[in-house]
Amino acid sequence: MQWPQRPVLDSDVSCEGAGLRYFRRRCSSFDGRLLGLVFGSLAFFSIAVSLVFAFAGAWLIVPFAGLEVAGLAFSAWWVLRRSRDFERIACDGDRILVEASEQGRLQRAELNRCWAKLVTAADGSLALRSHGREVVIGRYCGEQTRQALVRELRSRLGAQGI
Amino acid sequence: MEAAHAPAHGHAHDDHGHKPSGIMRWVKSTNHKDIGTMYLWFSFTMFLVGGVMALIIRSELFQPGLQIVQPDFFNSMTTYHGLIMVFGAIMPAFVGFANWLIPMQIGAPDMAFPRMNNLSFWLLPPAAMLLIAAQFMPGGGAGVGWTMYAPLSTQAGPAMDLTIFAVHILGISSIMGSINIITTILNMRAPGLTLMKLPLFCWTWLITAYLLVAVMPVLAGAVTMTLTDRHFGTHFFNAAGGGDPVLYQHIFWFFGHPEVYIIAIPAFGVVSQVIPAFSRKPLFGYASMVYATASIAILSFMVWAHHMYTSGMPVEAQLYFMYATTLIAVPTGVKVFNWVATMWKGSLTFETPMLFALGFLFLFTLGGFTGLVLSITPVDVQLHDTYYVVAHFHYVMVAGALFSAFAGIYFWLPKWTGRMYDETLGQWHFWLSLIFFNVTFFVQHFLGLAGMPRRIPDYALQFTEFNMISSIGAFGFGLSQLLFLYIVIKCIRSGEKAPDKPWDGADSLEWTHLPTPAPWHSFETPPVIK
Repeated sequence: MQWPQRPVLDSDVSCEGAGLRYFRRRCSSFDGRLLGLVFGSLAFFSIAVSLVFAFAGAWLIVPFAGLEVAGLAFSAWWVLRRSRDFERIACDGDRILVEASEQGRLQRAELNRCWAKLVTAADGSLALRSHGREVVIGRYCGEQTRQALVRELRSRLGAQGI
Repeated sequence: MEAAHAPAHGHAHDDHGHKPSGIMRWVKSTNHKDIGTMYLWFSFTMFLVGGVMALIIRSELFQPGLQIVQPDFFNSMTTYHGLIMVFGAIMPAFVGFANWLIPMQIGAPDMAFPRMNNLSFWLLPPAAMLLIAAQFMPGGGAGVGWTMYAPLSTQAGPAMDLTIFAVHILGISSIMGSINIITTILNMRAPGLTLMKLPLFCWTWLITAYLLVAVMPVLAGAVTMTLTDRHFGTHFFNAAGGGDPVLYQHIFWFFGHPEVYIIAIPAFGVVSQVIPAFSRKPLFGYASMVYATASIAILSFMVWAHHMYTSGMPVEAQLYFMYATTLIAVPTGVKVFNWVATMWKGSLTFETPMLFALGFLFLFTLGGFTGLVLSITPVDVQLHDTYYVVAHFHYVMVAGALFSAFAGIYFWLPKWTGRMYDETLGQWHFWLSLIFFNVTFFVQHFLGLAGMPRRIPDYALQFTEFNMISSIGAFGFGLSQLLFLYIVIKCIRSGEKAPDKPWDGADSLEWTHLPTPAPWHSFETPPVIK
């Protein structure tokens, strides 16, 4: 089974006959280069200024600049980790594969197409359920894409759902 | 497809439509709109506290001689009036705007770090309480001025320790808020909303947040060294121990001058939203506005010693700081030109937000011009520490930042509350504020030129008339702000229902893509910007 690789924003549900491919990333307008530039320049400036004052005798600025840089680094790490979140669904033959990466944790589920059904999960999100197992889907897409995904999945699933 | 709609907003906010109630809604809130509201009310409360302090100052100065308060208490009032107005009133007001508006203007559901946002706000009340509690310490509040210059601050009473702690807390809050704002603007923009399509308010806050992150460790270091000089036997600023009190001034103003722009730049952003809306034209020279704002921010790091011409420095340094300071007039002039050019041949109307924006434009330009006068070293040596300086920075801070904040509040109040304010009363508020502001501060230019020093509770007889006029103006200005409070409460309680877009020319996402009032959760799925 081929995973769709290309992150597409609006038309990311693609169908080939009975098959279905879906890929979606978390909406993130940061790219790694910009992240490095922004947080790096801030960290550099803070440290540079604190060192200049340290040479003039006011060294107690350095620990505060260090704390701030630690805060910036943590924020950058947090943002970068979340910006890699994605979700992909592939439906081929009797299998539905759902893979989701959230904050570095990859979760993979394989469901039987004939038994799986679309449900609304307890927290209100869209999910696929089969044999007591529930997998949340449609995390990062807009309303239009989510509707297209529901429409396409519903026509392929064996069990009655929402 | 009904079922497909149900989970549409579900993942990020499964309690869509359900708004918590009671006090815990506010204590635990991570919602950017709630936090923005809290910032704005906190700011107004501190504005009243700082305002009462200003009125105590002006009451004492109504006549020469000591009439109402003792000199120590007077000095304490000048100190905490400055600290509370800068850190407790103006800065939180614009952070409140940032919280309310940035997510809505970039099509994001909330700030990037909502819990940190909550903490940023809730650090403010304890800091404010420390500043107020400092008045009741043995010996009273620290009469050291908002600049907290050493060696005065290293010798002040225990109130100084509370003040230092308060400044630390405020600094932590500012840094967290700034990291949140930078991350939100850069990472959470809706697809298609490139940096050069951002509303100018977002741009100005992005640049302001940069400034805050860059200078806050310097302030933290300065007050910590003051603390260690006071209690732990260090001599950073003690000449007797090999330290240098002038070093404190360099450190403080390396923070303090960018701080002026930290206050002014978001004000530029608000005005850049209001003027095009009431001119029914796009902002003239958008790109040049962005570059001018960035230039002002960069230059703000290079001019700190123009506050210290009389502290002693080589003539070459005086020349450098004089020329660098005058250079700031160039990007500032670009901005003023662009605001005027936006109005040129526009279909202008003069509702309250536009009146306050125009008030800002006139008075901030005047304050900028007196700043240019003060940047000239030989002139500044004459005018340093006189009322001319007091007049100058109040034209920048009050007429600049506060008038712009009023413009912003009247402009976005319909979006926030779903109701219209009373336009007649709003116009009364503007005209009363404009007149009394000038009555208070314009005459202070003459006092300064005649040589009246600042931060004194008593003065020579020849300054009496102008001081009386200034004090009358101050009370009028203060009372006018109670009218503002009445207008806001009236709007919230019984204002007419506002249409989705009450201002014809408003074109940012919060006006074009969201209903009025803005729902508690907005943009759970980002809009696509063409």
